[in-house]
Amino acid sequence: MSELIQAVDSPAEIAQAAARLREVALKKDLPSRTVMEMFERWSAALQGNGMESLPGAAFLRLWLRQGTLEPILERELGRDALNGGWREDGRARLRAFPLGTVGHWPAGNIEIQPVLSLTCALLGGNSCLVRVPSVLVDVTRRLLERLRAVDSGGILTERIALLSFDHSREDLQTAMAQNVDGAMIWGGAEAVLQVRALPFPHWTRVAVFGPRLSVAAMDAAVWSEPVERSSWCQRIARDVWQFDQQACSSPQVLFLERGKAGDVGQFVEELKRAFQTENRAHPRGEISPALTSSICLARATWLLENVSNKAWFSQSPDWTILLGEGADIPKPTQGRTLSVLVVDDLLLAISKFDGAVQTLGLAIGDAQKEDALAQTAGRRGVDRIVKLGRMHVFGSPWDGVDLIRPMVRVVRHVPSQN
Amino acid sequence: MSGLAEIEERIRPLLTDEPFKLDVAKHESTLLALLKDELSYACERSLRFRNYVERWPTDYRASRRVADLPFLPVGIFKINPPLCLVGRSEITRTLASSATTGQVPSRVVLDAATSKRMTRGVMTIIRDFIGSARRPYLVVDTPATLAGSGELGARGAAIQGLRSFATEVVCCLSSDAAGNLKLEAEKLLDCAAKWKDAEVLIYGFTYVIWNHLVKPLQSRGITLRLPNARILHSGGWKRLQQEAVTKEAFTQGVAAAFGCSNDRVIDFYGMVENVGVVYPDCAQGNKHVPSFADVIVRDQLTLEPVAAGQRGLVQVCSVLPTSFPGFLVLTEDIAEVIHSDGCPCGRRGTAFRFVSRVPKAEVRGCGNVETVRGRPVANGRPDE
Repeated sequence: MSELIQAVDSPAEIAQAAARLREVALKKDLPSRTVMEMFERWSAALQGNGMESLPGAAFLRLWLRQGTLEPILERELGRDALNGGWREDGRARLRAFPLGTVGHWPAGNIEIQPVLSLTCALLGGNSCLVRVPSVLVDVTRRLLERLRAVDSGGILTERIALLSFDHSREDLQTAMAQNVDGAMIWGGAEAVLQVRALPFPHWTRVAVFGPRLSVAAMDAAVWSEPVERSSWCQRIARDVWQFDQQACSSPQVLFLERGKAGDVGQFVEELKRAFQTENRAHPRGEISPALTSSICLARATWLLENVSNKAWFSQSPDWTILLGEGADIPKPTQGRTLSVLVVDDLLLAISKFDGAVQTLGLAIGDAQKEDALAQTAGRRGVDRIVKLGRMHVFGSPWDGVDLIRPMVRVVRHVPSQN
Repeated sequence: MSGLAEIEERIRPLLTDEPFKLDVAKHESTLLALLKDELSYACERSLRFRNYVERWPTDYRASRRVADLPFLPVGIFKINPPLCLVGRSEITRTLASSATTGQVPSRVVLDAATSKRMTRGVMTIIRDFIGSARRPYLVVDTPATLAGSGELGARGAAIQGLRSFATEVVCCLSSDAAGNLKLEAEKLLDCAAKWKDAEVLIYGFTYVIWNHLVKPLQSRGITLRLPNARILHSGGWKRLQQEAVTKEAFTQGVAAAFGCSNDRVIDFYGMVENVGVVYPDCAQGNKHVPSFADVIVRDQLTLEPVAAGQRGLVQVCSVLPTSFPGFLVLTEDIAEVIHSDGCPCGRRGTAFRFVSRVPKAEVRGCGNVETVRGRPVANGRPDE
């Protein structure tokens, strides 16, 4: 960790880093409670010094809090695991042990993802070999500098090796895969498929968090209610703005249940005001020309395809609301472009989901109706069903998979004297 | 609202006067008034287009700058059926962009009036660069590209656009059954011997000239002695960039092949969605906009026009089309504004240089769902 992020150019450098990490992981136990205590300090250190402007830093502070992580650890590994002890299981006893060295291949679109990924493996007592995407090198360095400042004894930092190399270097990708006991792979389809195809040892456990999209839905009782409408629109805007709508948990479409009482036009005007407010609070600093082109094309395609479609958008590519009808999810544009589709029955839209939807953000007035929607969504491949405004709250399970348990081995000991 | 006849009357002088002499303020006001009327005309002719224009954040009728008028992104011209402002019976030709295999080409429909304006537009611009005299016209392509009727590709459209400068037309390539192009070297040498010191107009797509004329001539050690040739080329640099051929190397290679000076090799920028307007390089290496068109370079973050010295997305503007809504088109090209006025070559108005195509969309991570199970999503863009 002396260089924090090491630019590597040869497989030998990776093998060397992995060997050092494995030695540390084998030599010393790292109880989850120790990790959590260090994370708590890291969380505090992420305040001030301009860290607020760093995308996702506020969220990461919350994630690293003991109050967030302890219930997750308890649920995934059991209460005794917090202190690294055994727990009784009939005549046997069980204890979680780390896999060893976990390789991380985070996606390049979420600034805090390399850190989020490695925290999951550290909680299991593992060492971490992380390939940091080139676009995230600076932000990852800033985050890890704060950890190094609070971890003077190197309890965690000695278990982390952050590597930077071009994603097309097959030899380096291969070297990394050959030297890990576990792998956490995040990102788009192409990236995930490429990493999965690497020659991992046969014992390597692989957790994949592949490309997904997310959807929001509101029933008529909620969006027609003038008093609460404004706050719901603010929640939607926050979910759209965070991560510039590029995360798997970002809503790309909002299904609105048709209602007799409400005026959809009024709702969209409210939503437009919420988008404008969010845009003023969190203006974009930069955008790729390709995304600008995509946003302009999405606006034009929507309005030219069907004369009954409507749209509201800024002169700049800052935000876009596309209003129409239908139960099918349109092709996502990202870049703060939300399709709002009016549908007679939310169940109809949800029953068309095909496994691509990760998160369903809901605002439903009737608990029974919400239960029916959740049941259907679960059957149709949705992994997270949450309240609108909390679609990005990173928690376990994520993508239907535990975050810590896949990177530990649960050892069963049946005492010989029984 | 102005009728089409009145619009036609107002476009006519722009196509007959010198194209690069209009005062900048007069240029802006003339274009703004005409484009507003053309937008109104298009809204009356197309409900789809009206739906788009009416949803634009500002009312175009109150706009004070061309830059504030509603533009279409170039990708919308891939829509099927193509955007059209005339009845089917009035369509005389459909132009299609060059697109690589598997990609969807842009298509624009032309009626007789628009076709005529397009031809006049190209003539007016090219005349300013090479003079108005007719001369032998060597097409670095196959005769098939001249036989255009119905649907015409980008190469065919460019070749046809220069025909009015020709006393005779000769194509120097042929193609085999598989479509592979081959240089008709003997035919070419015969023409060169016949034309000698005459003014000759030569046109071809950039990569076609390089791969199918310059390279074969170089390999045989042949130089054509045509010192008064004018070689115009267009179609983009992507394929030659892949072969590491720079613009300078191309110009030198072509000039050497024809035995003329480098300044007789002229690159021009154009696209079917902006047909009738081409942007040849001036002696300073800059591209200019004629009085019947404009170019706005927009900042990708704000979509506001950038100042001289800055780069951004190119928007092309043209008053020529009335058969399709190609008045204001945001391209997927990046250019740099060199001057807002005052190029040493003497041409007035905006001078710009093409920089590159918009880089392919970056990997957009875990939310980048390009395919939904069993339902692939198209994501094509043209090569050039």
